[in-house]
Amino acid sequence: MAWLCSRTVLQTCRRQFFRNAVYSKDKTLPDPLDLATGLEKRELLAAAAGNFDPYHMKAIEIVRDSTKESPNLVPSAFKSRIVGCICEEDTAHVNWMWLHDGHPRRCECGHWFKLTEVAPLG
Amino acid sequence: MKKNFPFFLVKNSPWPIIMSFNLMNLLISIILWIYLKNIFLFMFMIINIIMIKSLWFRDIIRESTFQGNHTYYIKLMLKFSMIMFIISELFFFISFFWTFFHSSISPSIEINMMWPPKMIKIFNYTEIPLLNTFTLITSGFFITLSHLYFLNNNLSKSIKMLLFTILMGLYFSMIQMIEYKNSYFCINDSIYGSIFFLSTSFHGIHVMIGTFMLMISYIRMYNKHFSLIHHINFELSIWYWHFVDVIWLFLYLFYYTLI
Repeated sequence: MAWLCSRTVLQTCRRQFFRNAVYSKDKTLPDPLDLATGLEKRELLAAAAGNFDPYHMKAIEIVRDSTKESPNLVPSAFKSRIVGCICEEDTAHVNWMWLHDGHPRRCECGHWFKLTEVAPLG
Repeated sequence: MKKNFPFFLVKNSPWPIIMSFNLMNLLISIILWIYLKNIFLFMFMIINIIMIKSLWFRDIIRESTFQGNHTYYIKLMLKFSMIMFIISELFFFISFFWTFFHSSISPSIEINMMWPPKMIKIFNYTEIPLLNTFTLITSGFFITLSHLYFLNNNLSKSIKMLLFTILMGLYFSMIQMIEYKNSYFCINDSIYGSIFFLSTSFHGIHVMIGTFMLMISYIRMYNKHFSLIHHINFELSIWYWHFVDVIWLFLYLFYYTLI
């Protein structure tokens, strides 16, 4: 039992990382982009390239006269995404629906949506 | 696995459950300390908790600095949760102040209807408590200076100022201990002794925790874990330190001077 407990502890407290043994003698702070790693660094690089919404989480302004042939494009890194449509400008609620890859879908109000694939950040 | 969201899904960690077991053991060891006058188990549990806390912090440092999991949203949420934590701590101290005012503004017949109660010789507020106040305010000044130097990209001066702050925190704890040893009343001397020692010692524990947090920021600053846009540990330690500082001002005002 003790062995089981200690093994669980030792296995769950592992975190993989790499670090450098070289120590900088600078009296100033490290550069933010040099210090950052992983997802944080990708986010900073995207911001440096002018993309402040790298996860595509912000609302998209839809085209009012969309058809099946020219739908509103919804970016997604996955096969499906939940879309919330604010049908009229002064609507007080959001109509939610699933949108799947390769199948353009129409909201009840008439707006068309289609999934476009984008590369994931992480 | 593809990941396209700014949130950080934490991995399994053994520390929360081990910490909770140790906190329970700590409470039991306090009972042993009070009733059997045996401090050994209490000290053992305190050392255990410091070790677990250090390992937990080590994991968080690895997740943030070395794995880069703390994105902009995570940093924002950490700041919000620290604000929530400090507000809850504030209300924790408000409960003590409530007890104090309840007992002091209209003293009951059991304590001779006077405040401080009869036969209680209180501290002179111009001696050690005033020194404590100066120490904490000066440490607040030095931590602000440290933050200023940090934001001006002057790491060596920032480290020095942070060291002064930590030393002042330790000095505060030390003179607080001297004050406790020289007090004329103890925790079971009427409501005054109870509420005085409860409040000031909880404040003392918070000072120690704040000093611990500042020490961790000191080590991380020395190892260059911080950059201009990512120094959450340092920033939140500063917030906590200022919070402790403000609590002491109120304690000094109401517990020492205005009675």
